[in-house]
Amino acid sequence: MKKKWFVVWMVTFFVILSIPTLFPSEKANAQGKPIVIGSPLATAFLYGWDAERAIKLAVEEINAKGGVTVSKEKRPFKVEVMDTRDLEPVVPVNDALLVVEKLILEKNADFIVGGPVRSEAALAAMDLLSKYKKVSILTTGALTPAYHKRIEAEYEKFKYCFRISGEVGWMVSGEFIPCLMGIKEKFGLNKLFIMVQDVAHARAGGDIVAKIAGEKGWEIVGKEIYPTGTTDYSVGLLKAKEGKAQVILIWMDMPETAILLKQWYDMKIPALPFGTIIAAAEQPGFWKATEGKGEYCMASVVNAGNAPSKATPWTMKFVEAYQKKYGLEPEGYGTSSSYMAVYVLKDAIERAGKLDSDAVVSALEKTDLMGVYGRIRFNPKNHQIIPSVDPNEGAVGTIFQWQAGKRVVVFPPKIAMGEIKLPPWMKK
Amino acid sequence: MDILIYGIVNSFSLALMAIGFTLVYGISRLPNFAHGALYVITGFGVWWFIHKLHLNYALSIILALVLMGLIGAGVYRFVLIRVRGMATSEIIATYALGLAILEFLRWRGFKGMTYTLPVFMEGSIQLAGVPIDLQRIIVIGIGIVVISFMWLFTHYNKIGLALRGMAQDEHAAMMLGIDSDWMAIIAMAIGSILAGLSAIVLLPLGNIVVEAGYNVLILSIAVCIVGGLGSWVGAILAAFMIGFVQILTVRYIQSHFHMVVALLAIILTLILRPSGLFGRQKELEERV
Repeated sequence: MKKKWFVVWMVTFFVILSIPTLFPSEKANAQGKPIVIGSPLATAFLYGWDAERAIKLAVEEINAKGGVTVSKEKRPFKVEVMDTRDLEPVVPVNDALLVVEKLILEKNADFIVGGPVRSEAALAAMDLLSKYKKVSILTTGALTPAYHKRIEAEYEKFKYCFRISGEVGWMVSGEFIPCLMGIKEKFGLNKLFIMVQDVAHARAGGDIVAKIAGEKGWEIVGKEIYPTGTTDYSVGLLKAKEGKAQVILIWMDMPETAILLKQWYDMKIPALPFGTIIAAAEQPGFWKATEGKGEYCMASVVNAGNAPSKATPWTMKFVEAYQKKYGLEPEGYGTSSSYMAVYVLKDAIERAGKLDSDAVVSALEKTDLMGVYGRIRFNPKNHQIIPSVDPNEGAVGTIFQWQAGKRVVVFPPKIAMGEIKLPPWMKK
Repeated sequence: MDILIYGIVNSFSLALMAIGFTLVYGISRLPNFAHGALYVITGFGVWWFIHKLHLNYALSIILALVLMGLIGAGVYRFVLIRVRGMATSEIIATYALGLAILEFLRWRGFKGMTYTLPVFMEGSIQLAGVPIDLQRIIVIGIGIVVISFMWLFTHYNKIGLALRGMAQDEHAAMMLGIDSDWMAIIAMAIGSILAGLSAIVLLPLGNIVVEAGYNVLILSIAVCIVGGLGSWVGAILAAFMIGFVQILTVRYIQSHFHMVVALLAIILTLILRPSGLFGRQKELEERV
């Protein structure tokens, strides 16, 4: 009897021991010393938390497939995320810099992927990255052209900085203006009212749009600048109505813009809301949050893949993987670019064969792969991703419109899933 | 006309935000710097009751307000009673508490724009050609009701009269048998309920975000300083002054300077008349 129990216990013991080999974990697949990715992100805001989720998804996928091949060794990625809080009102830029430094010195980050998210903080962090010679791929938030212009102006100093998402210059000239011209042509609209947030990228973006749109036959009937955290837009909307605006161009990354859209609907302002950057409207939860009042709002999510489309074969695979893991579609700007940054970094490290910053910089400059939002290549002079309206040529953006509870991609034409519609109270 | 209509809406919004803060200070001389946090926690509380406990909207509101009353009373009974009379410690304790609540909410994932409360009534109307949604009309209505109720309560109710007595002369009130701590507990409870009520009325206009707690606190402080700390009549007048100046600023200058109005009002009041419009705190010193 005792012998029988001994056998039963031994069998149970070996079965328990063998469980990990039957269901291999990610760690089991990816051996070796982890490569640490430090991610400074404003995690309380869309552009921070979606980036965090996307980076973790990519890392999980890569580790599950064995990790990164460095020389002949397989090494896993490890992510260290720290909250920069740089999208919050009144939080000084210095706080974000402390986070970047902490990631480098305390968390021993080998690479920085993600933010800082606010343009001002991202620009200030460049000197730190240069000081520590840390390769950084900016994936979310900061859209200021000053970022890549600084790299181009002082290449040797800032060569460790790359940006895999968009920048205002291209977005305005290559996406917003052509999209506005399409609206002008299709519906005969030509009066533009501009509403921007009081932050560097939005003020600059609003000015550039106003200048170029004005040159292209749009009449700018007004411009309002709102402090971060504004919760009432009624007077500005009435100004737009009085000025007979037909399109309201919105450039704001604060969540309170949902209020703007609710007020626009309640007041039945006869102008199409075109959110060039409008964090609130980007997210899948926007429809529910505005109880459908945000219908017809257009929004740019900067890169394809941040809303469902068939830009490349990888786009919907990414959308589905994200949806499977987090229970909702990719949420907005910063999602697909953060995801791709990890894959691009993996590719560069493998080609470089080591983690040495200069070698990885050189490899990143030679990146050429078909990603979630088109062909991924960096301009070797300024380390900005090369944009295009054709996914076979470069990184494509996405402008969608909320239609019947869905984010329908309407620009660029090569990846469009539907056409722009006007709200019923605008139709003559 | 739009200035008048939206000026009134904005003023009542400010009055609703600030009345709880000024009531607590006026009666118990306690600066409740957790006021903004109580505002936000009410919003998330109602949201949680609706979406997690699946209670109906009205019941969720009642429960949240009762909870706010209990939290307010608890804050005095367990925290403030220990630092009563030490002004700096009172400010630090309540501010720290507010900060802890807001950061706890952020840490627990209450972020983003998915947290919204339904409006009381859907739709909009035209008032003299100016479009306005019904929820904003309700803000005005509830503002009038709350102000009237507070006036009646402090003039005709025994507890309300006792509260006023405490505000006028604490020692004399205590000699007449009014319990100072009980009155402070009641004041904190009512102040917290008023913070919660303003959240319930105002948050359906937008979404519930943690950062609103800081804004509400700044605006409440601005209204109370301009009106005179502790004077709720002054607070209402100040709410109208700041409310209209904000709308005029947006209309004729730039939306950009909207928030500057409140901060500028604080600075100007402290320079020109530190006791505020109706405050009596330093009136004698100012006359001297």
